[in-house]
Amino acid sequence: MENVVFIILNVLFLTILILFLARQGQGAIVLEQSYAKQIALLIDSAKPGMTIILDMGKAKDLAEKNNLEFKDIVKKTDNVITIRLSEKGGYSYSYFNDVDVSLYPDTSNPEKVNSYVIKINEYN
Amino acid sequence: MSITNIKMKMNKKGGAKIISMYWFVILIIIAGGIFAMVYSFYHHPYDVRELEGEIMINHIADCLSTQGNLTSALFDEEGFSQNFSENFLENCHLNFEVEEVLQKNFDVEEEIWGGEPQYYLQINFYKSENLENSLFEISKGNLNLVADWNIQEEKEYKRTAKGVEDDFFSFNREDMYLIKILTIVKKTEKNVK
Repeated sequence: MENVVFIILNVLFLTILILFLARQGQGAIVLEQSYAKQIALLIDSAKPGMTIILDMGKAKDLAEKNNLEFKDIVKKTDNVITIRLSEKGGYSYSYFNDVDVSLYPDTSNPEKVNSYVIKINEYN
Repeated sequence: MSITNIKMKMNKKGGAKIISMYWFVILIIIAGGIFAMVYSFYHHPYDVRELEGEIMINHIADCLSTQGNLTSALFDEEGFSQNFSENFLENCHLNFEVEEVLQKNFDVEEEIWGGEPQYYLQINFYKSENLENSLFEISKGNLNLVADWNIQEEKEYKRTAKGVEDDFFSFNREDMYLIKILTIVKKTEKNVK
């Protein structure tokens, strides 16, 4: 009997630890920051005429869990990119490349809209 | 059952209990260590300033030189164009405006929303025959960041600005030039905790 309790407690402990580790990288704060910086750096290194498709599946899942629409999670104000994956907050990061950028969900495959299109138009 | 057998059984049981107690103590210590490592990893911002500096250097190099030749806009009848230097940010399509961040204002001992310039760039042109003396210099952005960056020559400090240096050779007709580019990015509020 004691051995069974001991094993159950060990398994419980390991499960909690694994769940904790699995959840850490999926939080809104971490994802918002990572996508905002990623998009800003992509724009910085891009040239007019380029079209970049960025997979944002993880962001989409989290946004839908928080009742936000996929098309509303990326915003651009002047040269600042803001990602918002929860009702509160959001994360902004600026880029230095003075280009006109269009950002919108990639609807080329309507059944699986997981990506964002970053279209670099012209220099400002 | 003899008395020695009973004693041995009792000791074995007691020993097992002590082992399981220590086992849980060890597990808690390991869990604490893992928690601390994961917490410190995920609760520190990603520091992308060096990457930003490198990208800016590539951007500037592309603006100044095409296929190994310096852009003609860089020169006028008298040599290097002062006009190109003055309008460098517009000419090379750079925008040093940044988002407003909560910054420590030491004058009034409080945090305020503001956006002091977070970038600095410096470009020096050398003739290939004389790599000691710079012929022409272009610099833009927040000059104070240079001192901030220089501090790090002996030791790297997390909260100071990050600088990246690189150079390349390029031609203007028959003359070969060495172009040294330095970019410094501060943005500590967004990249360092």
